[in-house]
Order: sequence, then C-alpha cells, then structure tokens
Amino acid sequence: MSTQTLSPPPQAPPVGTRAADVRRARRRLGLLVTTGLGLLALALLVLTMMVGSYGLTPWEVVASLAHQSQDPATDFIVRGLRLPVAATGLAAGIALGVSGAIFQKLLNNPLASPDFVGVSSGASLAAVASIVLFNASSVAISGSALIGALVSATLVYVLAFRGGLSGYRFILVGIGVSELMLSLVGYIVARAELFEARQAMTWLVGSVGQAGPGQLWALIVALVVLLPVAILLERPLRSLELGDDTARALGTRVELHRLALIAVSVVLIAFATAAVGPVLFVALVAGPLARRLLGPAGGHVLAAGFVGASLLLSSDLIAANAFSSPLPTGLVTGAVGAPYLVWLLVTANRQGLGG
Amino acid sequence: MTHELRGRDLSLGYGGDDVVSHLDVEVPDGRITMIVGANACGKSTLLRGMARLLRPSGGQVVLDGRSLQDMRSIDVAKLIGLLPQSPVAPDSITVADLVGRGRYPHQGWFRQWRSEDELAVQAALEATGTADLAGRPLAELSGGQRQRVWVAMALAQDTDLLLLDEPTTFLDINHQVELLDLLTDLNRERGTTIVIVLHDLNLACRYADHIIAMRRGVILAEGSPREVIDASVVTAVFGLDCEVILDPLTGAPMVLPRGRHHICGGGWRREPPADPQSVRGCPGLRLG
Repeated sequence: MSTQTLSPPPQAPPVGTRAADVRRARRRLGLLVTTGLGLLALALLVLTMMVGSYGLTPWEVVASLAHQSQDPATDFIVRGLRLPVAATGLAAGIALGVSGAIFQKLLNNPLASPDFVGVSSGASLAAVASIVLFNASSVAISGSALIGALVSATLVYVLAFRGGLSGYRFILVGIGVSELMLSLVGYIVARAELFEARQAMTWLVGSVGQAGPGQLWALIVALVVLLPVAILLERPLRSLELGDDTARALGTRVELHRLALIAVSVVLIAFATAAVGPVLFVALVAGPLARRLLGPAGGHVLAAGFVGASLLLSSDLIAANAFSSPLPTGLVTGAVGAPYLVWLLVTANRQGLGG
Repeated sequence: MTHELRGRDLSLGYGGDDVVSHLDVEVPDGRITMIVGANACGKSTLLRGMARLLRPSGGQVVLDGRSLQDMRSIDVAKLIGLLPQSPVAPDSITVADLVGRGRYPHQGWFRQWRSEDELAVQAALEATGTADLAGRPLAELSGGQRQRVWVAMALAQDTDLLLLDEPTTFLDINHQVELLDLLTDLNRERGTTIVIVLHDLNLACRYADHIIAMRRGVILAEGSPREVIDASVVTAVFGLDCEVILDPLTGAPMVLPRGRHHICGGGWRREPPADPQSVRGCPGLRLG
C-alpha cells in the first residue's frame, strides 16, 4: 500500500501473449479471412456466369472474360448476358455490406441497418412515385431512387441531430421516417393502375437483374471512389466506437468523421438501391456475419463488403435457377434474412443490447 | 517537459445555464490534483472543459500559453489524455486492441502502425500490470482489471497530462487503492501531471498533492489537503456535519461524517487524543 515504492506487474507476461504477438496474430487472421471472403465472392461471380439454361465450364467463362475465347456464342452469353447481372450482384453486394457494417459500428447497434432507418424506404417512395405518377424510364426510376435515399437520409440526420448525434435517437427517428414513407408507398400503389402497380411491386422486392448498364456503371464508379474512402475512415471509426468522449480525448474530430462515415454509407446504399431496388437484409446481415468470421480481428469493413457480395450473388443464383421460373433476388434474401432478424432480436433482448 | 494548464474566466455548460461560471483555475505541473465536491457541483464539467470535450461558453482553457480551442484536436490529444467516467467498448475487443487504440493521435492516415506504437502499448500494459491479459477479450475481465486496461489505453496515448473522471467508481476498496497507487507511481516515475475527479473525500485527501473543492460551479477552497480540508470547508462544500481528524496511518485529513445515529459524543479535532486507546465519551469503546 505504500505510495513510494513501485508496484511491479504482478506476473511476468507468459511467452506468446505479448501485445505485439497478439496484434500480429490478429492481423494475420484478419488478412486471411478477408482474402478468403474476397476469393469466395469471386468464385461466386464466376459460378453465377456458369449456371443457366446453357451451362458453361469455369474455364469457358474465364477465357471469355479474358477475351481469349474463340466461340462467339460463349462470348455473347458470358459478356453480353451474364456479366452485367453478375457484376451488378458483386458491386451492389459490396456496397450494401460496407454500408451496413459502417452504420452498425457507428451507431453501436446491430439493428442500425440502412434497411430500417429510412434510407431504403426513401428510395422506394421516390422510385414508386416515378413509376406510377410519371411513368418514368428505367434510368429515371434509378435516378429518383438515388435522390429519394439521399433526401430521406438527410431528413433523418437533421431530425435526429440535437447538438450531437445519439445512435439511439437516429434509429428511432429513422424507423419513424421509414414507416411514414412506406405508408405513402402503400397509398401510391393502391391508387395505381394494375400494370404500374405490378411494375412498382417488382421494383420494391428488388432484383439484381433489373439494373441497366447506366445503373451498373454509376454503381461501379461510386464504389471505386467510396470504397477506399470507407477503408480509410475505418481508423476514426475504431476510435468513435469507444464513445464520443474517448474519441474526442484521442483527438478524433467526432462530428466531422461521423458525418463523413454516414455520408459514405448513405451514398453507397443509395447507388446500390438505385441499381437493384431495396433488396432486404443483405446490409443487415453482412456486418455481424463478417464480425463472427473475423473474431476479434480488425479490417471489418472490407470483409463485410465481401460477405455482402457473396450473400447477394448466392441469393441471385438461387432466385434465378432453383425454381421453374426466375424469382426476384429480394425474395430469397428476405426468406433467409427474416429468420435471422428474429434470431437477432431474441438474442439481443436477452443480453439487454440492441434496444 | 513542464506544462501549464489553466482556465481563465472559464464558463462551461451544456446549452442551458452555465454549470461552471467565471472560474480561474490552475493545475499544478507534475502533481496530483483532485477535484472534489457534491454531485452536480460542476467538477466533471470542469474536467471535460479542460480536456477540450466541451467548448467554453465564456473564457478559455489555456495550455502552455495557447487557447485549447485554437489548437488542432490531434495536437491536444498528444498532450492531454482523458479517461471518461463510463467508457464504452465494442463487445469482442481484446485488451491489446483497445490499448492500441490509445495510439490514435500519434498515427496518420497512411502511416499507421510503427514500432514506437508497439513499445508504447507494451510499456502501458506492463505499467498497469495487464501485460498478461493482452490477448483476452475485455468483456471477460473483472471490474478492477478492466479499469486498469482503460488506464493502460490512456497511458499508451503517452501524454504529459492525464485527466480521469471518477476512475474508482464501481471498484471495491482494494481496487480503488490499487488504482490510486498506480496513478501515483505514474506521477512519481514519469512526472505525469494527473487530475482526478473523485467522490471519496478521504482517498482524495490521502492521494492528492493539491485539492480543489467545488460547490455550485465555483471553487470554495484549494491547496494541499492538510491546509484546505477542515470541518468547516467540508460542511460548506458538501453540507455535511462532520469532524476532520488526521489519519493515523498517513497524516492526511480524514472526514468523519456525523450523521444522526451512532454518535457517542466527543471526537477528535485535527490531532489524535493523548491516549489513542480510549475514545472520549465512549467508555468501553476502544480503538485497536
């Protein structure tokens, strides 16, 4: 108890548990898992292009992609028909996964998925309105979905902001705004003509196949610009995770970085939704799944992107091939995601977490 | 490295009325300062203001002649560390990972992890006796261990000033003493200037070089515990009817609350009685 003698550490650290070793092991694991998930997403990309009414071998697909194929029919099937769909699945899946993981970490809540906090419903309202009220073209529908998502995210941010941003408030306001928008969607669809109502409902389920080349390129450009930004912002995100006070004490510019993270996440989800519609649950599930695979390892955001891509590609593979006629992707992700959501709610309540 | 941290005509609040108004305060360099006071007296607010967690509504906090508000966040974080009252961490985070995050202000966007970061983390773990916990998840640790890990994170930040907001809350008496001993070691070994908001007045008197007693946003008394703490000050600060004696173990002032029950008259004032074995007015009651 004397204050003048130094208290030595109670035990010398055993070999192998030094902080440096722990960190190195974590890095290695993180790199391994992320690379593995990236390869899985690529494998699923190729698989998506192999399967269909006309089956192809992986080599035929890869050869055609590398412009080494001699067969124009294969080229037409791979590069003309299947590549745009598969690439949309990959890009939209990465965007959804990254966006969801950032939201959940930022708001420290596994339910803080853009699906629920108003972003997807804003896109839905704008898209359905443009289909039913203005009879818009496919590109115009995507454009309005993009604007709808951005406007509704801004609305939630402004309504939830009160001298700072509390995660809990953001989620509650988001759910409220989301409900409001979905009720307006219901109203518009109920008043629509049958043909337009069907078109609107199809869009609302969401499908990888519905993206045109314009939407795909817009999404790819958004991803190329924002994915590196998201990975760079993971460093302040790791500090924000420790709460505002600790983050500030560590020198993080809390409001600025949080706004940047929300902006990246919202823009990614907005482009993805504009391309494939509000495909449910991918953004919700990708983050927690990646975290489970990584354990305590870092590098979470990119891994969540690859999990999102794998989920969306495999869902589309099932939706397009497992039934007598192809289904929209959103039906399959919904069928898988809904039970997961129930499980999440049940376990979250047991731990007293997740609101 | 000496630093001068002071508040000049400092007012702090949370949007409404000021919690702290027109305060002039100076933190003695290289010493342990304890801020004490009743709940809601503004002691945590003052600490948060001095760590730049709150923007002053009036006046300024000055570090080495520069206003904190004019400095970049990251430069402040290289000099002042702060452990908030109830810090939060993600569920599965390991000790090494958490302590590593204390290196944030020393890293850049691209130059991320260097050997000096590694050394600082290892030194912080060893100083707090948590090196053997490095690979464990934070959630599995006991309250005392967890608090030491948080202190280790603040140490890894490697600042000359360290501010702690009620670091002993939720710790049992043994771990409270252990933590305050650890902070004293830091102060003596590294010369770290330490400012602690503490609830326990007796521990504050024992461990403080300098004590600041606050009530309703103003400083009622400050100085060394022996100069400052007497029954009238404690009554003024806490509204508590009490006696102050000198702790026979350390010579620091020690507050004995009167309360309404179990009082048997008399008592010590400042000096122990000539015969410490008997307590005046309480026949049959003996210390020992």
